[in-house]
Amino acid sequence: MASIVRNTFKAIKEKGLGNFLREFREEGYLQTKIHNLGAKVVGVDQYGNKYYENMNVQYGRHRWVEYASKNRYNASQVPPEWHGWLHYITDHTGDEILMLKPSRYAIDHKENFTGEGDEKIYHSKGHTLNPGQRDWTRYQSWQPGKS
Amino acid sequence: MGLSSLTSRAMIRRILHTTTTTRSHNFSLIRSIVSTPELNNTASAAAEPTPDPPAPPPRPPVNNARVHFPNPEDAIEVFVDGYAVKIPKGFTVLQACEVAGVDIPRFCYHSRLSIAGNCRMCLVEVEKSPKPVASCAMPALPGMKIKTDTPIAKKAREGVMEFLLMNHPLDCPICDQGGECDLQDQSMAFGSDRGRFTETKRAVVDKNLGPLVKTVMTRCIQCTRCVRFASEVAGTEDLGMLGRGSGEEIGTYVEKLMTSELSGNVIDICPVGALTSKPFAFKARNWELKPTESIDVTDAVGSNIRIDSRGPEVMRIIPRLNEDVNEEWISDKTRFCYDGLKRQRLNDPMIRGSDGRFKAVSWRDALDVIAEVMHKVKPEEIVGVAGKLSDAESMMALKDFMNKMGSNNVWCEGNGGQPQADLRSGYLLNTGIADLENADVFLLIGTQPRVEATMVNARIRKAVRANHAKVGYIGPAAEFNYDHEHLGTGPQTLQELAKGSHSFFSALKNAKKPAIVVGAGLFEREDKDAILSIVETIAKSANVIRPDWNGLNVLLLNAAQAAALDLGLVPESDKSIESAKFLYLMGADDINLDKVPSDAFVVYQGHHGDQSVYRANVILPASAFSEKEGTYANTEGRTQQTLPAVPTVGDARDDWKIIRALSETAGISLPYDSLIDIRERMRTVAPNLLSMEEREPATYSTLIKPEVKKEIDPAPFKAAIENFYMTDAITRASKIMAQCSSQLLKK
Repeated sequence: MASIVRNTFKAIKEKGLGNFLREFREEGYLQTKIHNLGAKVVGVDQYGNKYYENMNVQYGRHRWVEYASKNRYNASQVPPEWHGWLHYITDHTGDEILMLKPSRYAIDHKENFTGEGDEKIYHSKGHTLNPGQRDWTRYQSWQPGKS
Repeated sequence: MGLSSLTSRAMIRRILHTTTTTRSHNFSLIRSIVSTPELNNTASAAAEPTPDPPAPPPRPPVNNARVHFPNPEDAIEVFVDGYAVKIPKGFTVLQACEVAGVDIPRFCYHSRLSIAGNCRMCLVEVEKSPKPVASCAMPALPGMKIKTDTPIAKKAREGVMEFLLMNHPLDCPICDQGGECDLQDQSMAFGSDRGRFTETKRAVVDKNLGPLVKTVMTRCIQCTRCVRFASEVAGTEDLGMLGRGSGEEIGTYVEKLMTSELSGNVIDICPVGALTSKPFAFKARNWELKPTESIDVTDAVGSNIRIDSRGPEVMRIIPRLNEDVNEEWISDKTRFCYDGLKRQRLNDPMIRGSDGRFKAVSWRDALDVIAEVMHKVKPEEIVGVAGKLSDAESMMALKDFMNKMGSNNVWCEGNGGQPQADLRSGYLLNTGIADLENADVFLLIGTQPRVEATMVNARIRKAVRANHAKVGYIGPAAEFNYDHEHLGTGPQTLQELAKGSHSFFSALKNAKKPAIVVGAGLFEREDKDAILSIVETIAKSANVIRPDWNGLNVLLLNAAQAAALDLGLVPESDKSIESAKFLYLMGADDINLDKVPSDAFVVYQGHHGDQSVYRANVILPASAFSEKEGTYANTEGRTQQTLPAVPTVGDARDDWKIIRALSETAGISLPYDSLIDIRERMRTVAPNLLSMEEREPATYSTLIKPEVKKEIDPAPFKAAIENFYMTDAITRASKIMAQCSSQLLKK
């Protein structure tokens, strides 16, 4: 307990009171930290999301994720390999499922960027906003080269 | 694994169950592969004779074909499925069934090829015949009773189908013929739902037949249609049958390419996917394609084609049946030139800047520049040249526009400096393409129909095969695919013929239906009037022109030529190019631009960046034949029209619309705004160009022809076409045609 108080003071001294309080608010006034007491970290995915499990709480509420981003988080940040574990579909953790991933053709997980701006969201191959928009021209035009 | 064995076990149990309970229904566990179970126990079928069903109403002939009786007294009567049909003597049982409206399944039989009778698919039952007969090879006899849908006939066909499918690969999903395959269709009617063949299928090595025809010989069912086509129609003994029994295969004996200009047709006649189009391979499935019935413009024959397109792309070109023009064949150039429509296209108006480079501009700017220059030059220095692919509407607009500007120098390339457009018989194939096959003596003067007009050549070959017609040829050494006599190389032979001293003259004179064919390549010669008059002398002395038979023909080279002459695109002066200050090229790529003065302003309107664009000052993009509706007159004077299959590329416009817009910018608006209006204008000039799909024969007269005083130049005739595969802007842009000319042409 004493160490917590000491660490708190040390952090306030380093960051200043304002920064410390902002961080404190962003992390939910210790709510998450308190919630995590007694829970076991099952794994951390490539984006830094932590997956907790506490077998002493009510069944069905015993698995949760602590998002890496504390201010901008949404459920689509959970990669597919952890999705099953998190939603009680399977008891295999994401790390175990990742071992089955076919590296040849599987593409990386991408979160849903809807509402985050046109440059971030997905555009189909023929969409004008897609930087790699496919060329639907079915003819080759004459190029005025040498005269 | 477990699932399938489970279901089959369950099925067996259910079958066993039903067999034990409903034994009276004659349901056995081992089901026959044949769908005519009554044949399996003939005893029970014979025991209970069924009363004759009431006769169905008579059907019209297959494809509504008309039956032609050469001799009305030779008609015989046969009974097909109980109906009496009258057919001419010499018809086969299969043809009799077609007249009766019964379509007999077949693989090897083709109405335009000789009868092979080796696929056995067309088996029918004939009364008093001990076993089913192959209807394609059996002549119909008077009073024959033919039954086409009896259990015996059906079982026979099912047996044939089972044998055919024994060695046929099951690769329909990746086969280009899938969806238009005869074997696929007929196996729906006569195929079994299971195979009894447990051994391995045979495999055949694929043959390399060149850049046009792809072979997958394992799919071949040995119908020999391609072999018969190659030897009978194409006239090249390239293909043949090797081996016997299960080792039988189609091949070229030794490794060689199929060097026929009709080779693409084997793709159409192959009933399975053994011979398919190489450029079209795996590009599209046939049910995705939109068909458009159009006309070919790569030569003057005007073959009827169907353009199959998907979206903005022409995917393939296949022939359309027209007995009067191309029957059901087309040349390789027609069939495979379509990839040229996608390359080297002009898609923006361009102006050549002061630095000599082209810059894309708007239509308004381009037209303004042209109109400004046109008003600066003298009217007689304005020259308009129509290209060899131009349609009649745009040529009409070009001529009207030039005339309104005060110039009368407008002509069409290929017609030479001073074409004779006064007498229509002077530039048409007067006999008609279809009637050429009745001729018995041909005199070909300066023309090589094999490269100039392949479909006309096929008719001549047909006449040589059927009537043993004699062919005499005057011109440079050339390849023919039929027997011919090379009489000479130049006008000197013509003079001998005119005097009657040449040995071939008597053959021409004694012929029942002689035909003289003059090549349009001679139009480029200085002494062409003298040559044409000496040809007329020969025609007169050999009595080639009779009331019922006009055997004096001119074989044109380009699609636009006949319509251009019909519309009177004749220049005022024969030195129009040399004195031009403003040259309007409407798709003219094959004229010699060296003589154009360096200060002349050249406008090129066309669809391909080919040869003339490099001399142009302004480029106006126009639409190609697959993108516009245009009227064309072919070499025999038959008017036909193209229809748009795909949209125009980029900013291109129809030819006549460009000229109409330019006339408005120049302040002399042409009085038509639509195709209908422009055709009304054509009606006043050449009404024959409005009677679509009809041939307007020319009346022949030499009385009003002016006397020719020019001397004959003894220089030998030259070949009109150097390279069969590359003759115009579209074919020169085509990659496939380039491959053909590098691999197939004999050097």
